Amino acid sequence: MNSIGDRVLDRSRQLGAEDAELYISRGTEFTVRIYNGEIESLVSAESRGVGLRTFLEHRVGFSYTSDTEPDALDALVDEALLNGRYNHADEANVLPATEMAGAVAGLASPALEQTEPQRKIDFALEMERRATSLDPRVRRVSDAVYSDGSGQVEIYNSRGLHATYERTVAYGVLETIAEQDSEMQSGFAFTHGRDIGELDLEAVVQEAVENAAGLLGARPVPTARVPVVLHPHAAAMILGVLSSSFSADAVIKRRSLLAGKIGEQVAAGIVTITDDALLPQGLASRPFDGEGVPSRRNELIVDGVLTSYLHNTYTAVRTNGRSTGSAVRSYRNVPEVGVSNLVLKPGDISREMLLAGVDNGLHVSQLTGLNTVNPVSGEFSLGLTGHWIENGRLTKPVKELTVAGNVIALLRNVVAVANDLRFIFAGGFCGSPTVLIEELPVGGL
Amino acid sequence: MPLLDQSLVDSVIKRALRSGADFVELFVERKRNQSISVEESKVQRVSSGNDLGAGLRIIHQGTVSYVYTEDLSEDGLLKTADLAAQVGRRGGGRFAFGDLSGAPHAPQRIEVAPETVGADAKIELLLEADQAAREVSGAVRQVAVGYGQSSQEVLVATSEGVRHADVRTRVRLMIHAVAERNGEIQTAMEAPGLQRGFEFFDETSAAEYARAAAERATALLDAAPSPAGPMAVVVGNEFGGVLFHEACGHGLEADFVGKGSTVFVGKIGQPVASPIVTAVDDGTLPSRWGTLAVDDEGVPTRRNVLIQDGVLVSYMYDRLRAGQQNHPVTGNGRRQSYQHLPIPRMTNTFIAAGAHSVEDIIAATPRGLYAKKLGAGQVDVTSGDFVFAVTEGYLIEGGRIGRPVRGATIVGNGPRALYKIDMVGNDLKLAPGTCGKEGQGVPVSVGQPTIRISELTVGGTGVGPGGAMRQ
Repeated sequence: MNSIGDRVLDRSRQLGAEDAELYISRGTEFTVRIYNGEIESLVSAESRGVGLRTFLEHRVGFSYTSDTEPDALDALVDEALLNGRYNHADEANVLPATEMAGAVAGLASPALEQTEPQRKIDFALEMERRATSLDPRVRRVSDAVYSDGSGQVEIYNSRGLHATYERTVAYGVLETIAEQDSEMQSGFAFTHGRDIGELDLEAVVQEAVENAAGLLGARPVPTARVPVVLHPHAAAMILGVLSSSFSADAVIKRRSLLAGKIGEQVAAGIVTITDDALLPQGLASRPFDGEGVPSRRNELIVDGVLTSYLHNTYTAVRTNGRSTGSAVRSYRNVPEVGVSNLVLKPGDISREMLLAGVDNGLHVSQLTGLNTVNPVSGEFSLGLTGHWIENGRLTKPVKELTVAGNVIALLRNVVAVANDLRFIFAGGFCGSPTVLIEELPVGGL
Repeated sequence: MPLLDQSLVDSVIKRALRSGADFVELFVERKRNQSISVEESKVQRVSSGNDLGAGLRIIHQGTVSYVYTEDLSEDGLLKTADLAAQVGRRGGGRFAFGDLSGAPHAPQRIEVAPETVGADAKIELLLEADQAAREVSGAVRQVAVGYGQSSQEVLVATSEGVRHADVRTRVRLMIHAVAERNGEIQTAMEAPGLQRGFEFFDETSAAEYARAAAERATALLDAAPSPAGPMAVVVGNEFGGVLFHEACGHGLEADFVGKGSTVFVGKIGQPVASPIVTAVDDGTLPSRWGTLAVDDEGVPTRRNVLIQDGVLVSYMYDRLRAGQQNHPVTGNGRRQSYQHLPIPRMTNTFIAAGAHSVEDIIAATPRGLYAKKLGAGQVDVTSGDFVFAVTEGYLIEGGRIGRPVRGATIVGNGPRALYKIDMVGNDLKLAPGTCGKEGQGVPVSVGQPTIRISELTVGGTGVGPGGAMRQ
């Protein structure tokens, strides 16, 4: 791989680039999909690609290729330089100062590579088998998938940086179908870790079955304003919507809900949000970001007060700030600003205690249409499924309801946060406990 | 230049067959793309990319294995064939695969290949559009305009001796306008695109689309929060078809059908919609975003009527599901790239035109919501429950279009909504989009004429001065 880095950086220099940066990504994938006790499909592959940024008179050029033959690598350099000629010159277009990042322990599990394919296939088979034998109303599985992969990132730049890390991930995904009378409901759940040994078979099966069966008989309810409890997954989805607003790039381009609000109380006092790329259990953890800047833990909202935005090198230079190590990218893209592991800090009370405080309200297990939230105004009107809460207990299932509001107003109206932190992928790797919102308009019948 | 030498194609397939496979298919893809973005009235980025790779699918007694690689050297491909043969030897089931039939269509005709046009001309278009949007009103605060082109060459070769190729060239414009007044912010976007060369811009004015986006963002500043509750909803034409695509189209894809996870299972020949509804998936429409000469399994595309006068006529199949369900292929086997297995997907899917003018439909509606433009949405394929954002909406009062509303969503159930369609307009139009399924994004068209749904739940923030919900 050294030869690729040398060849590309040398040619960039020869053709006049003042600086250049090559991002090389290599990965493996193994995915098995089960249906009806048999393998439906099995994918196994190795993959790679490279992306090049060139810098000349503060103009950045970018090009990528998955073809690493010598001719294609030469063309990569030519194209990046040509593209750069058209871009506007901006003094903030620079490479970061070279800083060595420390290693993050446990990102890659050596067990992943050593696991026999048969064990992975058995895991998926077992998910399907158990899921159809737990509840008489759940007799079918529409999706049972085991998948894992390893990814290696290498960054070379003309300032002498040569950094690399490897990361592994394994997950199981299960979708069940519950049936009663002529009604069908699906239930989704997943389990994740660094290798197959970290996956929780029992939990994913139970959750997928409960999610499907629990919704049978769901009905709309009349329109009302009520306290709303968000399941950790639903709350984490909202964190995912909020995530782009922490980007200094979005702030500069006036696409952030949080623009101009540093030092202001933007959320309730019990809300603390961090973006931590060094979190041991975080699947988005990495020792350095997409430009090679060492990762760190960034406090974004502390006790309800907005304390920081996230920066890559460009936004940091442009705003006289410092990169927060938040450049995210693949080899197909230039480094943009983004979150890693975005976490709403858990509180002290259990989920049960939180629910006990609600006499009459709505528990939201799933929000739909999060991609419809206006990221600039923060206005939302979402579809939801969940359960009514009566005297602290989940009672009848509800569906075809909408809940409307504004993301900022929602943050201000958080009145309780439980201690049951859970993660999902929602833009970044987003984690939240169960959250109680004082009151929201819920539209139904 | 062919993507791969014929002799190498033959030897890779032969090598993979040595394991005793029932079927081998090689998919080779080269995709070149370029994108240009203008933000803050400056050229922010010109970038380009080159994706090249191959995927090898092997079927052993009903079990599908797939291996992909970026290494297209003889050594690399033969190694991949060996790996595919090795991971593939697990089958235990019956092998059935839909027959390839029909001659492939010609690829879409491109007059001016976009890669032969310099970046200067494209940048000029974008800067004109940027300026046009900014001139619309003083409230326009931010404008982002983008240009994208891609050219995807594919080759499908199978152990049956089939060798089909296609080239899909697409150009698209993206305009995003942000308007702001007294701290209130509204946005609007336009994104026209076709399978055309640069001649697309002879007929398409970037500046006009930019003005439309800026005007809409500005107008939304005066919009009142949408009322919530059940009401009649008139859904606008063009991208309004996303509602049918998401809430019903996916439920007609044969993989979901085969697993019994949609409400349309076993309903062929039965009524599933109001008798005024006819819906079609047509991969042959000239220049459309989802048009293909052959699908990504080498099957020639065709016009498939899905629902005729309210009666379910056909599902959409890839070769695997066609074989399993003993049905002719329909040309719907598609994949995002060489890194993905083909699955049943839509191409250009739309509700056919009806008899009414838009004016008739509005005039016949005493009270309701005119959802002129829909935005993003989400659907649960199993239940058919959906939610969509209304990005341009108006109240309908007394058969007339009333004040604009913002923040509305429509929520409902696709299969039930099909029965509630009580008026179909005569203004059918299609719009481009990217459809996501199982992590694979493919280009499609959605479309419909203006339609009326007699009742849907509308969600909105419509809270009156007293803090109570307004009906």
